[in-house]
Amino acid sequence: MLDLDMTPYAAFVWPAWGISALVLACLVARAVVVSRRWKRELKRLESEQMRTDETPTIRAQAARSAIAQPE
Amino acid sequence: MFGLANPERFMRFTGPLTPWLWGAAAVLLAAGTWLSFTAPGDYQQGDTVRIMFVHVPAASLGTLVYAALGISSFFALVFRHPLADAAARAAALPGAAFTALALITGSLWGQPMWGTWWVWDARLTSVLVLFLFYLGYMALRSAIDDETRAARAAAVLGLVGLINLPIVKFSVDWWNTLHQPASLLRAGGSSLAPVFLWPLLTMMAAYAALFLAVWLTSIRTEIVRRRVMSLRARAALEA
Repeated sequence: MLDLDMTPYAAFVWPAWGISALVLACLVARAVVVSRRWKRELKRLESEQMRTDETPTIRAQAARSAIAQPE
Repeated sequence: MFGLANPERFMRFTGPLTPWLWGAAAVLLAAGTWLSFTAPGDYQQGDTVRIMFVHVPAASLGTLVYAALGISSFFALVFRHPLADAAARAAALPGAAFTALALITGSLWGQPMWGTWWVWDARLTSVLVLFLFYLGYMALRSAIDDETRAARAAAVLGLVGLINLPIVKFSVDWWNTLHQPASLLRAGGSSLAPVFLWPLLTMMAAYAALFLAVWLTSIRTEIVRRRVMSLRARAALEA
């Protein structure tokens, strides 16, 4: 049977449970938020890196095709 | 097991495991809370016995997490393994949170039962010292700019703090204290009545699952963070 009447110890039981719930929720929220932030940053940097890596290849292709072009 | 020391393999293995741990923690927390508030009040302690269901798991995890931090620090220091260092770093904040919860909920339990919020006895003082070790570990890591030096200095502190763990565990046997002796892990089995034992074990499992989920997520985040740092360094070199 669910018993939520903590009289006369409500002033001790509820704060103990409340603080525990709050701290656990903060731990979970922090872990998830920080994880998402770094994942987003990694994705951004990787796509940026890919663009920079591609640029010389395009330039080289352009140069090759320029050389191969008949006058 | 040692294969997981490879960050790539670690990421592959823990990726599908972490959502299951989050789920297990949520289910166990819900079940543990239900069992905690359907258990009868204790004939001596009344409803304050329900504080035990959040106090004991937090205190156990506070100690166990420090053991994990200390062992990871050992591997980080001896083998200079980055994953061990990431594991130690990721354990510090949850460990400090669990220890703080043990101190706060213990205080809230102590006032109605002992008539005092705090007493400088061996168990309470050694747990406070454990909390200070956690704070010291985190402060030391963030005080040194060079990450390698910070990791090494923090690992030494993490190892030194291991000395405190047996003092926390056996303080109630070695000295006269207000705190009750061990009632779960003791010779002859648990002295708790099953009506209190089951909610307590469920809450302990819930806290453990929650810690594992937070820990693995944070280690994975640390691996991602290091990858970001190396990409930034590479971009700065190329610029």
